[in-house]
Amino acid sequence: MITSKKIVLLGHFGVGKTSIIRKFVTNEFSSDYKVTIGVHILKKEVNITEDEQVSLLIWDLEGTDNIDLINKAYLMGTNAFIYVFDISRPVTYSNLIENITKLKKMFSNTKIKVVGNKIDLLDGELNHDNHPELIDGEIIYSSAKTGTNIEELFDELTQELIC
Amino acid sequence: MSDTRKINLLKELLLHEDRDDIALLQAKITELESIIERQEQLAARVNPIIDEKLEQYSADIPEKLGPTITKSLKNEIANSKDAVVDALYPIIGKMIKKYIQQEFKLLSDKINSQLQKSFSLKNWTRKFKSKVSGINEENFIIQELAKTEIQEIFIIEKNSGILKANFSKTNTIDKEVLSAMLTAIKSFVEDAFKTGNDSLESIEYGLYKIHIQNFNSYYFAVVVHGVFDSAYEAKLEYELLTFAEKNLAKGPQKNISIKLTEHFNNDNL
Repeated sequence: MITSKKIVLLGHFGVGKTSIIRKFVTNEFSSDYKVTIGVHILKKEVNITEDEQVSLLIWDLEGTDNIDLINKAYLMGTNAFIYVFDISRPVTYSNLIENITKLKKMFSNTKIKVVGNKIDLLDGELNHDNHPELIDGEIIYSSAKTGTNIEELFDELTQELIC
Repeated sequence: MSDTRKINLLKELLLHEDRDDIALLQAKITELESIIERQEQLAARVNPIIDEKLEQYSADIPEKLGPTITKSLKNEIANSKDAVVDALYPIIGKMIKKYIQQEFKLLSDKINSQLQKSFSLKNWTRKFKSKVSGINEENFIIQELAKTEIQEIFIIEKNSGILKANFSKTNTIDKEVLSAMLTAIKSFVEDAFKTGNDSLESIEYGLYKIHIQNFNSYYFAVVVHGVFDSAYEAKLEYELLTFAEKNLAKGPQKNISIKLTEHFNNDNL
């Protein structure tokens, strides 16, 4: 049996949304930055059991610092959001709580994962100066370049979606 | 009187007139040199002005002479239509001829291919119809080739773009991704024009047309090949409504793809 789930990646420009998807879907990474215009959609089928498969349709939206500017139709019917920020650029998480709150208000029944990407660029350990704190929920720290926590992020999300 | 003095005296007497001529020539040469020098001086002063004017003139040609040239060309074309047609005809004619030849070749290949399938049931039926009706068999083949045909039908959830059911005659790209992309394009167009309740109803590419029919929570996207006129569109809309009424009252169910295939596989519109 195959079920389909829609996952939408959001966040500022250049935080690595496309790289995270590419790493997960094709296990590739490129340091050449190509800006996403509009929306790009990719699919990955994940085996849950021998008889059960989940088809993840992953919508990669163009980066924006204000989620109010996103075409609402792109967000409708989403099963899970992944909000990505860049751990090396504070501007990309300066309005993180505000955006997450808006998302929760608009889509109260939709799962949201917050991802701090590019941990490979971090000198030393995470501390209060170089990463934000959420009021509730946790942040998953990842690196699309090294693959750290990419598979884990989607595995965890898939499990939550089929429950 | 010494010899030297005698010679000098003789020279004086013999070359007296030549000296005058030489003096005259020298005066003329000096005058010419002066004229040339003055001209060079003049050129040095005048040339930059002329260059500047010429440059300005060249820049002004489109503006100053453009309308005149256009008017002259229009008049010329109007007055000598035949000459213009004569000049262009061979070029355009060749292009059209080449295009028609290519299209006829394709049609001819398709007809030959149909005729070669001489043992198929379809072929025997066509031959029989041709005998009975008296219409040439090739005409029946041309009719078949120009026939409108449904290639794909998608039932897509409106909000998420998730594919709920599909009937397909081809194995093209991933249908789930295609459904999601169609939904994204549809959403983009509808959002971009913000015309209230209007929605995207069709997309055309080459000989294909994607007919979109909206329902409350889902929409149909039907890929059609061939002549898609308003009569065919009306029939298709009616069939989709009939199908939806029969099978989608509670939204798309799990076995809906099979029902979709059963309903539309025969191209019985």
